[in-house]
Amino acid sequence: MTDEAVRDRGVGTTEAGVLEPFEVFRQEKDGGPMVHGGSVLAPDPLLALHYAREMFSRRGESVRLWVVRRADVHELDDPDVLAPPLDRSYRKPGGYVMRDKLAAARERAGTSKPKARGKSR
Amino acid sequence: MTTTAASLVVGLDAAVRSGLDALLLSMADDEFVLGFSDSEWTGIAPMLEEDVAMSSLALDEIGHARALYELLAEVRADGRDADAIAYDRSPEDYRHCRLVDRGRGDWAMTIARRYLYDTADAARLEALSASSWAPLAELVAKLRREEKYHVMHVSTWLDRLARGGDEARGRLLAALATLAPDAATVFTPLPGETVLLAARVLANPLAEAEARWRASITPDVVRLELPMPPPAASPERGRLDHSDAFRWLWGEFTTVRRMDPEATW
Repeated sequence: MTDEAVRDRGVGTTEAGVLEPFEVFRQEKDGGPMVHGGSVLAPDPLLALHYAREMFSRRGESVRLWVVRRADVHELDDPDVLAPPLDRSYRKPGGYVMRDKLAAARERAGTSKPKARGKSR
Repeated sequence: MTTTAASLVVGLDAAVRSGLDALLLSMADDEFVLGFSDSEWTGIAPMLEEDVAMSSLALDEIGHARALYELLAEVRADGRDADAIAYDRSPEDYRHCRLVDRGRGDWAMTIARRYLYDTADAARLEALSASSWAPLAELVAKLRREEKYHVMHVSTWLDRLARGGDEARGRLLAALATLAPDAATVFTPLPGETVLLAARVLANPLAEAEARWRASITPDVVRLELPMPPPAASPERGRLDHSDAFRWLWGEFTTVRRMDPEATW
C-alpha cells in the first residue's frame, strides 16, 4: 500500500484519522526469527495489526506479527561506522589471520609447508 | 601492506625521517595509552552494552596504535618491530600527551577524556590527511573513517552526562575541571615540526589544528554550557613528565612482554 494510492482515495488527511506507515515483521514458525515483511498504512497500531493480518497472514503464513511505527525505526547505514577499514580478524572466531606469519616463520626456520595429510600415507 | 620497507621511506631525508619519527611516536603512544586505559572498563562499565562498546573502542585505539607503530618501524628500519617499539621502553620514553596520562578515573572522567581526545585527534588527523608522504595519508584516511564513530559515541554520552541531572553533570564538570587544562597537549609542538611542514608531511602547523579543534567543539561547549579548555600551561612539556598512574598502567600492559621478551606469537 503506497502513500500515493492512499492519496488517490482521498483519505489520510483528516484530523481524526491521519494514516502513517507501520513496518510489519512476521514469524513463520514458532521460535523462528521475526522477519521484515513489508509495511501498511494505518491510523494507529491496533488497526495496523488488523491490516498486517490481512496482508501477511491471510493464508496462514505467519504465526506472529509485529507492527512498529516507521517513525520509531532508527537507521544506521554509514559504511565508515558499520564496516571499518582496519583489520578486525581478531574479532572473528578464527582469530588473527596467521598465513603470512606462518610463512615468515617457515622461512626463518628453512622448512617448507607440510604436505596435506592423507594421500601420501 | 604491499609496499616494501625500502620503498616507503625512499626520498625522505634524515631530518624529515626524524620529524616523522616524533610525529608517529606521539600519535601511536596517544592511541596506545588511551586504548589500554579505556580497556580497564572491560567487565565493570556501567552496563553490559556499554561495556562491550567501550572495550571495542579501546581495541580500536590499540589497533590504530599498532598501525602507526608498524609505519614507524618502517621509518626506523632498524629491525625492531611494532611490538618492540610499543613495549620495550621505560615509562619516561613514552610520548603520549598529558591528557591521556591520568589513568581511568570514573565514567565521567572517561567520557570527558574521550570527548576532548577524540575531537582533538580528529583535528590532528585532518591536518595529516593531505600529507605529502603517501603511506601516512593512506593510513590517516582509514583512521579518520574509524574515528568518526568514536566521536559519535562519545558525543552521545557527553550530552547525556551534561543534561542528566545534578550528579551526572556535577561529575562531568569535575572531570572537565581536571582534564580540560591538559586537553591542548594533544597539539604539543613536535621536535622537527618545521621540517615536516616544509616537506608538506604535515599540511598545517599543530597550532592551527588546535584552533580548528576549538572551533569544532564550540557548538557543544555553548549548547551544553561547558567550559572551553584553556591553552596548555607549559606547551613544551605536554608529552613529558608522566604520572604515577601511567607508570602503574605501564607495569600492567608490559607484564607479559617483560616475562619473556623473546617469545613469538
